[in-house]
Order: sequence, then C-alpha cells, then structure tokens
Amino acid sequence: MTLFSIARKNIRRNFTNYFLYITSMIFSIVIYFTFVSLKYDQTIQASTDASTKISSVFNGASVVLMIFVAVFIWYSNSFFTKKRKKEVGLYSLLGVRKKQIGRMLFYENFIMGILALFIGIALGSILSKFFVSLLMKVMGYDAVGNFIISSDAILNTILVFTLITAITSIHGYRLIYRFKLIELFKAEKEGEKEPRASLVIAAFSVLLVGIGYWLALQNLLESDVWRKMGFMITPLVILVTVILGTYLLFNTLTVYLLKMLRKNKSHFWNGLNLISTSQLLYRMKGNARTLTIIAVLSATTLTAVGASYSFYYNNRSNAETANPNSMMFIAKDKTISNQIKERISEDKKHNIVYHEVIPTLRLNVDITNLNSKNSADEVEYTIISNENYNKLIKEQQRNDSLSLKGNEAAALDPTYFEGLSPKYVGSTVSLKVNDHSEDIRFKKLQKFNVLNLYTAYITVVVSDDLFAKLVDGTSPVNMEVYKMTNEVDAKALTKDIQSMLTEDANFSSFYTDYAQGMEASGLLIFMGGFLGLVFLAATGSIIYFKQLTEANMDKERYDILHKIGVNKKEVKKSIARQNVFVFALPLLAGIAHSVVALTALSKFLQTSLVIPVLICIGVYAFIYIAYYFLTVSTYYKIVTKSNE
Amino acid sequence: MKTILRTNNVEKVYGSKGNQYKALEDINLEIREGEFIGVMGPSGAGKSTLLNILSTIDTPTSGDIIIADQNIVRMKEEELSDFRRNKLGFIFQDYNLLDTLTVKENILLPLALSKVPAKEINERVEEIADTFGIREILNKYPYHISGGQKQRTAASRAIVANPSLILADEPTGALDSKSATGLLESLTALNEQNKSTIMMVTHDAFAASFCKRILFIKDGRIFAEIHKMQQSRQKFFQKIVDVLVSLGGGH
Repeated sequence: MTLFSIARKNIRRNFTNYFLYITSMIFSIVIYFTFVSLKYDQTIQASTDASTKISSVFNGASVVLMIFVAVFIWYSNSFFTKKRKKEVGLYSLLGVRKKQIGRMLFYENFIMGILALFIGIALGSILSKFFVSLLMKVMGYDAVGNFIISSDAILNTILVFTLITAITSIHGYRLIYRFKLIELFKAEKEGEKEPRASLVIAAFSVLLVGIGYWLALQNLLESDVWRKMGFMITPLVILVTVILGTYLLFNTLTVYLLKMLRKNKSHFWNGLNLISTSQLLYRMKGNARTLTIIAVLSATTLTAVGASYSFYYNNRSNAETANPNSMMFIAKDKTISNQIKERISEDKKHNIVYHEVIPTLRLNVDITNLNSKNSADEVEYTIISNENYNKLIKEQQRNDSLSLKGNEAAALDPTYFEGLSPKYVGSTVSLKVNDHSEDIRFKKLQKFNVLNLYTAYITVVVSDDLFAKLVDGTSPVNMEVYKMTNEVDAKALTKDIQSMLTEDANFSSFYTDYAQGMEASGLLIFMGGFLGLVFLAATGSIIYFKQLTEANMDKERYDILHKIGVNKKEVKKSIARQNVFVFALPLLAGIAHSVVALTALSKFLQTSLVIPVLICIGVYAFIYIAYYFLTVSTYYKIVTKSNE
Repeated sequence: MKTILRTNNVEKVYGSKGNQYKALEDINLEIREGEFIGVMGPSGAGKSTLLNILSTIDTPTSGDIIIADQNIVRMKEEELSDFRRNKLGFIFQDYNLLDTLTVKENILLPLALSKVPAKEINERVEEIADTFGIREILNKYPYHISGGQKQRTAASRAIVANPSLILADEPTGALDSKSATGLLESLTALNEQNKSTIMMVTHDAFAASFCKRILFIKDGRIFAEIHKMQQSRQKFFQKIVDVLVSLGGGH
C-alpha cells in the first residue's frame, strides 16, 4: 500500500472530520473566483463608462480578498491540524517514519486543496453569473450579459490557490518534525493558567480607546491635535490606540471584571455561575487575540458597508440638492431654446412640471473679507432677484420665501461647510457692474439653492430694487430651468438636450448626477457588500471553530457536572451564557468602533447616516446572532454526546 | 437500621438480538444506613456497570432500584439529575475535579448548584476541610496539588451536601500507598463518626479490607459476600484474598 493511497483512504474514511476544512477552503475559492471573474467580465467592462476606475477598484479589492482568504485558510488549516495531532502521534508510535508521515500529510492536504479548487471554480462559475447581474443592477444598468467563463479568472484562481495549498501542505509536512511525540499526545491539554489582571492596565485600555474615539470625533479643520500630529499620522494613531485598547480591554478589563464578579460570593456561589464565570475567566486571556481580530473585522465590515450603503442611500438626495431643477442651462439662442422646449414637450415619458426663464447676473466678486478657508479670494456669483427666488421656491415646494430690502442679500450655498466656507451672515461685499459698484450685506444664509449647482454655483439673492439697479446698463444672462416628471429615467432626453447645447451653456441635469452617483456608489456598495459578506462569514466561522474546539475540551468538564447532578437544561443555560459573552464582546466593540467612525464620516459629509447605518448594523447583528444560535446548539451537542 | 438502597433482580444486557451479552444478572442487594460496603471482582465482572447503574448514570435493562425510598428506574432525566445532586456523592478513580476551580470551589460546587446561601456554604466547607485535613490547600488549583490531596478534595465534594449514599469507584486506584491509606482512613472515620453510608468498588484487597462488608461479583452475578464483624483488618484482608483466589481469573 503506497502512502498516496493511505492518504486517499484517510480522507475518504474520515470525511466528516475533513468536511469543515474542505468547506472553508471551497468557500474561500468560490468567493475569490467569483470576484476575479467579475474583474475580467466583458459585459461589465463594456457597459460602464468608468471602466478604468472599475478595474482599479477591483484590483485593490482582490488583493485585500487574497490576503484575507490566505489568512482564513491558514486559520482553518491550523484548526484542522490541531485536531489531528493525536492521530499523527499514533502513526509515529506505530513506527511509521517521520518522513512517511510528513509525506502523507502533504499529499492529503494537497488532494483536498485540488478537490476544493475544482468544486470551488465550478460553484463560482454559477455564482459569478448571478453576481454580474446583481452588480449591473445596483449600478443602474439594464444590460444582461451573455455570460462566458473567463479563462483568465480560472488561471488566476488556480495560480493563487495552488500556491496557498502548497504552503499549507508544506506546513502539514513539517508538523511531525515540529513536535515531540509526547507533545502530540498532549496537544489538547495545554495548560490554562489562572489569569492575572492589573487595574492599571485595565484603566489604560479604557484610556486608549477613549483617546482613539476622542481623536476620531474631533472637527478635522479646527482641531489643534490633528494639525499638530498631521493628517497622515493621526488616523494611524487612532487605529493603533483603538486596536491596542480593544486588545487590552479584552485581555485585562474583562478578566478584571470577571474577578470582581467572583468576589461577590452570593452571586458567584449560585448554581452554574460558578462554572460559567470561572471558565470564561480561564479562556479570556487566550481568547483576547481572536476576539480583537473579530472586533476589528466587524468594525471594518460595518464601517465599509455602512459608508458605502450611506452613499448609495443618499445618492438621490445628493443629486436633488445639487439639482433642484431637473434640467438647467444658460440660454443664449432663442431658436435652440424653442427646440429644447419642443423636444421636452413631445416626450411621452416626461411631463413638464414647471419651466422658467430666470434673468441673472454673473459677477466676479472679491470675498477676501469673508474669511473663507476653502475658496479663492475672487469667486463668481450668480445674482437673482428676490421675486424670482420666491417664484422658484414656491414651485420647488419649499416654504422659505424671502423679503429683502435695500442692500440686503441672501446667500444660497448648498456646499456650505461650517468653519470652512465663507462667513456670510453679517458680512458686506461689493458687487461691481461696469464702473459703478454696490455694497450688499448678507442677511441670511440658505444651505440649499434654487438653481442647479453646476450651472449657477453659488447664488446670491438681492432685493428687487437692487437687482433692477444692477441690471441697468448691462444685459442679464437668462437661465432656463425645467422640472419634469420621471426625472430618474431620463437618459435619452438628457443626452438629446445636451447635444443641442454648446459647452458654455453649462448644462446640468438631475439625471446626469444621479446616474453618475448610482454608478460610483453602486460599485462601492457592491464591493462593500461583497467583502462585508465574506468578512462576516469568516468572522462567524472563526468564532464557530474556536467555540467548537473549546466544546471538545469542555466535554470532560460537562461529563463531571452531569455525574454530580447537573441537568441538561442547566448545561444548556450555562453554554448559552458563556457563548453570549464570547459573541457579544467583539460584536459590541465592533459596533461601537464603527459607530464612532461613521459619526466622524457623517460629520465630515454633513449628512445624517443614521438610517442606512442602522440598517447595516441590524443586518450584521442578525446574521451574527444566527451564528450564535448555531454555535450554542452544536456546542451543546458535542458536550452532551455520550462517549460510547 | 434504615435501608438506604435495595435492588430487585437488576439485569443489564448489552447488544442486540442474537448477540447478547449479560453484564449483570439477578442482582439483589441491600445497603443499610451507616454501612461501608465494598464491591470486588475480576476485571469485566460487572463492577463498574453496577456502580454506573446505582449512580443513575446508566439504566438497567430490567429490575428495580430503590434508593432513599425512591425508585430511580422510573425517574426522568431531570429528576435523576436532582436526585444525584441531593442524594448521591461520587468519588472517582481519576478525581474528576474541575481544573478551572480552586479546591474550595470544587468542594462547594454541589452546594452552589443547590443554591445554598453563601454563608452556610462557607461554614460547611471549612468543617469538611478540617475532616480531610485540606484546609491549607483550599485556595489552590487542582494541578498544583498531589494526587492524594486531589482525592481528598473529591471526597470532600462527595460528602459536602450530606448525601444518603456515597459511591466510590476505585478511589485509591491512582494513589500511592501512603495517600491511599490516608484516604481510606478518612473514609472510615466518615463512616464511623458521621454514620455516612459508603459503597466502594475496588479490586485492591487492601482497600477493601477497610470495608465492613464485601460483595464479590463474577460474570455479572453476586458470587459471595463476607462480613468483617469483629475481625482485625489483617485477618479480614486474608479472608478477602482467599475469596479472590477462589474466584480465580486474576484481578
């Protein structure tokens, strides 16, 4: 009997033991292959305008995925070999040579790797078809591609996974050389010692996380700390303090708290509290690293998914803020204007809600005395009259009319950023028309505009008298605005109208911004969702594996408890309670971290991310809780399974 | 004296039809309050099966077992757990201590499970620790103490809840002779002073000589029974050895 056939039989006979390992490998391969297929997919590349952007995003994400998948397979491999140390020891005891054992483990792992590769690519081929259409859908395209399995993707996947399999196989080969025979037998009895916890380090961990949070929540532009440490260094400091703090928190603070709990005898000496508390206490130190990894992965996933979903979620309102009118352009030629009006009126898909021609003045204004941090000293303002403003505001169904008098003015700046933008209210600037100039005083600031941002940029409303005075002697610029129904689906109309106009008409439309946003944020959310799903599956599996390893170690303890009269209900309760602790800690830490990160982001973007973020956290927690119940029930089965 | 345990025609059959193997057959025995009874027999005679059945971990194929006036054969899983917790104490060959708990916590575990108030627990543990001479090691963890100390801890745990019956399975099996003697003397003292009822399974004639009565099992049946009466331990030991020789089959 050759070693190769022994290895083959090993796999066949103990297939259930190998199942978890193979499944996690197949999972990794399916994910990676699907992702790489998307990268090489012709339909996606052909139908998106921003294909260079897409391929660079895909490239970056696939590197992240590759590293992650390698780590994940390594983790499951070491989980798997740990369980088999005894078996390997037995072979050695029976007199099989180390070299033979090593070769056997090598072949075995390699066979499994190749098997997983085939299954993974096959499953991935089916899945990637689904994901291509999903990606197209979230990016707002209708195209359904004729799907071809890309040979590049297959080659890429085979290359990456053969390499990973080779590395884990060599690792398996070396297993027998790395340990003494006695160590292989004692593999699962490695000592767990009573952990120590110092109050100083526990307090330090809270301090570290606190510093990280505090830094993250600073106002970027006004914070002295950020300026002094630099904008490159500070995020790193935040990352390091939060991760280190989380680790110490798990490592020390929880141990400290559990010890405090143990001091309270009437609680501790009460039923199974004695067992759960002391087991948690023992495991905590050893678990701190895994829990930290899970917390950081959860935080990353939640932040990435939350942020990308927020962009997607806010896309429509962002497009609306920038384009209060469906279409807008500077009208220079009467005949073109008429053609456009005709084209829109004839379109059966859209009805005109309103159409206005707004006379405006475009002036370059010196705003040095507005103390702006982000704009040039001289900017171009679009000036409109109070009357026209009130007309538009009514049509746009906002309740915000103005009644300006004399030299009073109002600024309409949807891009206003506190502390960064010009300080309008109360300031005075002078408007120069031809030779004479008029001083205006800003009475009000509106963080929206009635004109489209791209065509008009910042708009200033002045009193009707002043507007008449300013216009006198020059010719106003007429801006035409259209509001129509079904503006989300205006691809053809937008394209036609744009082609009728020249570049200097500054044509802007809701649809253009909306579609662009859909494309970019759709890609983002797809990436975020895809990677998030992978991370979630992986974090769940890591805890699942870890808890099941512990279940095997705890089996003996629960046997003892069973013998001295602990019933199954109590055992289940104790298991559920221990697992709640292990699952909840990293989840809560991850949620807290991501909430801080997203709060910082929402401050920076000046939009409320509450709803999209809550949805993300809800979904994440839901899947995570499903893992919890799966783990508890498997744990219980392992622990109560009789030895016979 | 009150009867603590009585079995009627207990039988345990392993295997399915055609390939049956009777591990226990026709077991009728009675243990009275305050007895210190030994169960001996060659390997495979059914000692452990009997002990497992009496300790409610295993169930007999047929027959009745009445412990403390309750028929344990008819009990449900949860009742059995409560029964084990309240009425039985266990001492195992491999101690079965929980290594995440200190000696003290191991001892008080049955009381904690029964939700006895902390103050009462403390008093009870101290009292027992003195009986077994393990007061100094109360705050140590199992892997820091010797085998003898572990077994005395296990014995303390077995009696802490004042069980009706203490079941000991080869309690001296993993101990050196000095520790073994110490433990057996403690058990004897417990039996004589506290009137605890003890049933001990062993294949060591020396350990058995501490008992007051010994049952011999062979091939699943009770084969012989001897009483110590007023004999000295040496004499009783000699008698045990004689019976074992007559049993044959090595031990």
